[in-house]
Amino acid sequence: MTSDKPPYLGFGLGLRPQHYREILADNPAVDWFEVLSENYMIEGGQPLHMLDQIRERYPVVMHGVSLSIASTAPLDMDYLGALKTLAERVSPKWISDHLCWTGVHGVNLHDLLPVPYTEEALDHVVARVGQVQDFLDRRLTLENVSSYVSFGQSEMTEWEFVSEVARRADCWLLFDVNNVYVSAFNHGFSTDDFLHGVPRDRVVQFHVAGHSHEESHIIDTHDHPVCPEVWDFYRETVAHFGPVSIMIERDDNIPPLAELVAELDHARSIAREVGEKRLEAAE
Amino acid sequence: MKSLRDLQESFQRGILAGDDAILDEVNDSAKEKRKVLFGVYRNAYVARLAEILADDYEQLHSYLGDQGFARLVKAYIAANPSDQRSARWFGRHLPAFVREQEIYAKHREVAELAALEKALADAFDGPDAEPLRIDALAALVPEAWPSLVFEPHPTAIRLTFNTNAAEIWSALKTETAPPKPEHLPEPQAVVVWRQDFMARFRPLSAEEAMMWNEAAKGVRFGVLCEMVATFAGEDEAEIRAATYLKNWIDMGILAGFQTR
Repeated sequence: MTSDKPPYLGFGLGLRPQHYREILADNPAVDWFEVLSENYMIEGGQPLHMLDQIRERYPVVMHGVSLSIASTAPLDMDYLGALKTLAERVSPKWISDHLCWTGVHGVNLHDLLPVPYTEEALDHVVARVGQVQDFLDRRLTLENVSSYVSFGQSEMTEWEFVSEVARRADCWLLFDVNNVYVSAFNHGFSTDDFLHGVPRDRVVQFHVAGHSHEESHIIDTHDHPVCPEVWDFYRETVAHFGPVSIMIERDDNIPPLAELVAELDHARSIAREVGEKRLEAAE
Repeated sequence: MKSLRDLQESFQRGILAGDDAILDEVNDSAKEKRKVLFGVYRNAYVARLAEILADDYEQLHSYLGDQGFARLVKAYIAANPSDQRSARWFGRHLPAFVREQEIYAKHREVAELAALEKALADAFDGPDAEPLRIDALAALVPEAWPSLVFEPHPTAIRLTFNTNAAEIWSALKTETAPPKPEHLPEPQAVVVWRQDFMARFRPLSAEEAMMWNEAAKGVRFGVLCEMVATFAGEDEAEIRAATYLKNWIDMGILAGFQTR
């Protein structure tokens, strides 16, 4: 298995079909693209054709939603086979999915379902990550999810659980800034505790995204621009971790590409300010 | 303490069957009751799948209207838990599901509209293959033609409609008022395929459909010409067969040929 840490790629966006032609025509100022793996597990046609061209111009990362790493159902070897085949075609800089489960008994609920933070779940997830990494012959990158319920049986905090998975399974982490913010609000923990609770050397990517505020809870919807509170937390996150590849997730109400590029510029300016402050402090 | 397996089964039943046993395992938050919080997962499951079906069956949605489509989709989601890694294939049973629904028994165009949209989606991301070009045939000596066998493009799908669903689809696609549903006097053959990355369809005449069906089975061109002659008369049968073949090549619906 390659042990190299994924490279720093800068500021990226999710690749969405609405933007294919514009990306190829205008070469927008986006450093890299994240593709949803399952959307390209198809036989042919325009999506794969576009992806082939875009990956020649931009670094690409594969992000999945159906690995179901924490499910008690057997690992879906057909899925893993399709993931590996796609990775051979795309040569992604890394492959990520979520620290969650999506169903049992052959059902896919198409949601990122929460895990109880127990020793039992930890042993289970760590063993499965090992199997997947052996199969793919590369390290996985796992993302913390937004959650709406917590389990009575949990024995540790989410950040302790996430950190233990990364350490014991020897995988990378995708720190989703918005998901930490959402879950912190929903479960009443401190975003700073989470931020300082995960190992810095394991984090290889950030996500930021918009959400829907329902007063008593927040739902991770990816259908709005990133809100000021999440940008504030992103500022803290960059200050804590230093430069890490970041991308903006937008899956619904997808705006013109220029709007997302402008939003990405906002992320760039925050990271620049943080970097400048750091330099001043060093001088 | 419930095992992880039991906890996940209970969680899934909570989403799919509305079983509240899972609520014993989860906490209220400081601001909200657990039933409301767990409800986020219940709502998201149905909402996400409904949105996928609305994307996949856009004209069916227009045809049935918001209420009618929502009713259909709700019943379909309840009857078909997703078993696919990608939601892309969640709606694949919808045409068959519509055919079995009592309320559409007298509206056969609804299932046919669904079948057309499914075929278009399947053609859109079906397997790649270079279409057969006319130049490839130009070099053949006349004696070779009778033994030619054609290979359909891998995205080609043949449908048969008993209603004017294809016309309804075309009207809805261009946002014009659809024609009244009609039962056709003769079944209408339609072929769906992908050309230049676009999914397309075209009705076929009865004779062209017969020749296509036989050609797709690997019947030699010489025999196809004889079948065309039998179908609608010997007069200019070879010209008719050659015209159909040229159409198919122009459409990009053939992927190759062999001499057999």
